[in-house]
Amino acid sequence: MLNRRDALRGLALTVGAAATGWAGTAAATTALSWTPTALTPEQAQILDVVAELIIPATDTPGARAAGVPQFIDRAIANYCEKWQVDQLVGGFARMDADAKAAHGKLFVALAPEQQVAILNVYDRETAVSTSGHFFPLLEDFVTVGYFTSEPGATLALKYDPVPGAYNGCVPLAEIGRGWATR
Amino acid sequence: MANLNGRARRKNTYDAIVVGSGITGGIAAKELTEKGLKVLVLERGPMVRHLEDYPTAMLDPWQSKYPQGKLPEAELNAHYKVQRRTGYTMTEQTQHFFVRDDEHPYTEENRFDWIRGYHVGGRSLTWGRQSYRHSPIDFEANAREGIAVDWPIRYEDLAPWYEHVERFIGVSGQAEGLPHFPDGHYQPPMELNCVEKAFKARSEARFPERRVTIGRTAHLTDPTEEQLALGRTKCQYRNLCIRGCPFGAYYSSNSGGLIAAERTGNLVIRPNSIVTELIYDERAGRASGVRILDAETRKDEEFHADVIFLCASALNSAWIMMNSTSSRFPNGFGNASDQLGRNVMDHHLGAGATGQAPEFADMYFSGRRPNGIYVPRFRNLGDAASKRSDYLRGFGYQGGAGRATWERDRGQGGRGFGAARKAALSQPGPWTMGLSGFGEMLPYADNRVTLNRDVEDKFGLPTLTMNVTMRDNEMAMRRDMQAAAAEMLEAAGFQNVRAHDNGFAPGLGIHEMGTARMGRDPKTSVLNAHNQVHECKNVYVTDGAAMASASCVNPSLTYMALTARAADHAVRARKRGEL
Repeated sequence: MLNRRDALRGLALTVGAAATGWAGTAAATTALSWTPTALTPEQAQILDVVAELIIPATDTPGARAAGVPQFIDRAIANYCEKWQVDQLVGGFARMDADAKAAHGKLFVALAPEQQVAILNVYDRETAVSTSGHFFPLLEDFVTVGYFTSEPGATLALKYDPVPGAYNGCVPLAEIGRGWATR
Repeated sequence: MANLNGRARRKNTYDAIVVGSGITGGIAAKELTEKGLKVLVLERGPMVRHLEDYPTAMLDPWQSKYPQGKLPEAELNAHYKVQRRTGYTMTEQTQHFFVRDDEHPYTEENRFDWIRGYHVGGRSLTWGRQSYRHSPIDFEANAREGIAVDWPIRYEDLAPWYEHVERFIGVSGQAEGLPHFPDGHYQPPMELNCVEKAFKARSEARFPERRVTIGRTAHLTDPTEEQLALGRTKCQYRNLCIRGCPFGAYYSSNSGGLIAAERTGNLVIRPNSIVTELIYDERAGRASGVRILDAETRKDEEFHADVIFLCASALNSAWIMMNSTSSRFPNGFGNASDQLGRNVMDHHLGAGATGQAPEFADMYFSGRRPNGIYVPRFRNLGDAASKRSDYLRGFGYQGGAGRATWERDRGQGGRGFGAARKAALSQPGPWTMGLSGFGEMLPYADNRVTLNRDVEDKFGLPTLTMNVTMRDNEMAMRRDMQAAAAEMLEAAGFQNVRAHDNGFAPGLGIHEMGTARMGRDPKTSVLNAHNQVHECKNVYVTDGAAMASASCVNPSLTYMALTARAADHAVRARKRGEL
C-alpha cells in the first residue's frame, strides 16, 4: 500500500515520462453531453474521461463519440451484478483519491498526461494480479461498449451485415481491419 | 346430444394427426399432406411464422439492450437455469426460441441439460444444421457387438429416403467416397479457409485415414426450383441462423416443410395445443386420437384421426406415451417391452484440442461461414488398423480455424490501453484451429427418463425425471478424442497445441434419442421397422425416440429420413385398410 502511494506521489514529478499507453490525443474534460441514470454526475464525469483515455479518438472515433460512457451507465442500471457495480464505483472513488494524493485535485481536473500516468499505475498493478481490481473490469466494459457500438464496429473494425458470400482466403490488406462479428 | 357430439367429433377429425412441428413434424406434415391426407399438426407452443416472427434477425450489434445481448444474471437464474448451460443459446436475441425452465421443470437425478424450444418449428429454428447419413456400420453395430437390440432396418432401407430429404431441405457438402461416411445429394460445398486447407493437407499426409472435409450443412448454396418456389434463397453468410433466417437459407420447418404442407391446402396447424395423451380405442384395437390441453384456455379437447405421428422430440414423445395409460396399456402406451423411456442417448462433446497456426498472418477471410470442418469417424471401422481395444464405436470431429477477434485477452491485466491497444484490437489476432469430438453414446437400459407425478409444470402436468450418465466406454473415447486431435494439430505444424476435456453432461449435445427404440421383437423394443408402435400400428413415432443406436453423426437428417419413410408407409397401409 505504501509503495502504491509513493508511486502515485512520484507521478507528480514524472508526468508524461512513462506514459506507455498514451498517444497524445487530448481527453479534455468537457461538460457531460448526456444524463446518467445509474451514476452520480461526478461518477459519470470520471467515466466520460476515463473511457476516452482507454479508447481515444484517433483516425477513428473514440469511446466518447461512440457513446461508451452511456453504454456503461446503462449496463450499471440494467445489467451489472452488485459486485461489478461496487468494483466500478469503487474504482472511480480510487481514481479521485489517487489524483488528490498525487496532485491535490480531482481526477477530471488533472491534465491528460497526469490522468494517463495514474491509469498506467493501475495497468501495471493488474499485470501482477487482476484479482478484485476494478481496472480490467472497467477496460472490458469500455472495450465491449466501443467495439459493439456503431462507430466502433463499422469504423475501427469492419462490419458487413449481409456478406452474401464466403471467401476463405483473402489477403488481410484487402480487408484492412478485423471483422466486428464472427 | 348424439348429434352434437357427432358434429363436434367430425369437426375434430382428420386423416392424420402430427404431434409436434419441429424437424420431424414438419417433414411428416409435408409428406402426409402431399400424399393427399388432411393433416392436423398440434404444437404445444405459440405460432412462429417464417419471416414475420424472427424479431431479432436483422438487429445489428449496437441494437442490444444489454452488453453483447447477454442476459443479466438475475434473469438467467430466475428463468433459464438449464437453457443457459450451453453458453451460446441464451441471449437477448434468442431467448424467445427457448423455454423458461421455471415454467417447464424436470428432475435431475443426474445432471441432464435439456435444451428446448416450445413454439411452431421447435428446435428446427435453432439447430446446428449439420446433416450426415448414418453409415452401414452404424445400422449393424448393435447386432455385431451384441449391444441392446438390432436395428430392424439397414442402410439400404433408408438410403432413398435420405436422398428424398436431402433434395427437399437442401444440403451443402462435399462427396468423399468413404464407405463409412456415405455421400448424399449435395449442393456446392462451402470453402475451407487458408488455415483449414493447410491443416487438411498436412494432417492427411500424416494420417490419411482421417479425412478432413467441410461440414455438410442444411444451407442452400445453389437452390433448386422447388426451394426457390417455397421462398427460400441461398446462404448470405451472416451466421445469425439461430435468430431465424430472413432468407430461408437454412432448413427449418417454418421455412420448408410447413410451408410445403400449407400449400397443399391439406394442413391445419393448431398452436398452443399440448398433447397430453393418446386415446386408445379398446374395441377397435387402435388409437382413435389424442387429448390436448389448450395452453391458452386451459381446456381439454380431443382430436381424432386414422394415423397419428408422434414427432414431439425423443423425451416429449416418450412423456406422452408414458402419460397415456389405459387398461390395455397400464405401464404406458405400447410399453409391454418396458423399454419406453430407457436407452436415452446423446452425443457427448466438449473434448478435443486447439492450436495456433504460425503462418498466414497476412491472410484473412470475408463472410461469416455458418459451418465448420468435419473429420468423419476413423476408429473401429471393422478393419484391424482402426480397431480400438479401449472402447467401442467412434467419434467425428467438428471444428475449424478462425482469427482471434477484438475479444482476445479480455479481462487480462497489464495489456495497456489507449491508442496503441485500440489499434491492435482493430486488427485480427492469431489464427486458432480447434477440433472437438462428437462421440457415440451406447444405449444402456438404465439410462432412462421416468414420469414424475409429484413435480408438475405450470399447467399441472406431470414432468420427467432424468437418470442418464456417461459410462466407461464414453469416458475412454473422450481420452482418445483429446489425444487424436492433439496429434493431428501437431502433425500439421500447429503451435501451443492444447488438449481439453471441458466435461460433459448428457443432454448438452441436444441430440436426445432412444426412448422408444425400433427393433424386431415387440418384447424388447417399442417400434417396428416402419416406426409403428408394435402394439398399436396406427401410431408412428419418428423423432429421436426411435433410435436403436446413436451413431456419432448429427441425427436430424436420419430423423427426417425415418419420418418420410414412415409417412410413405402410413399412407400405403391406410389405403390398404391396415390402420
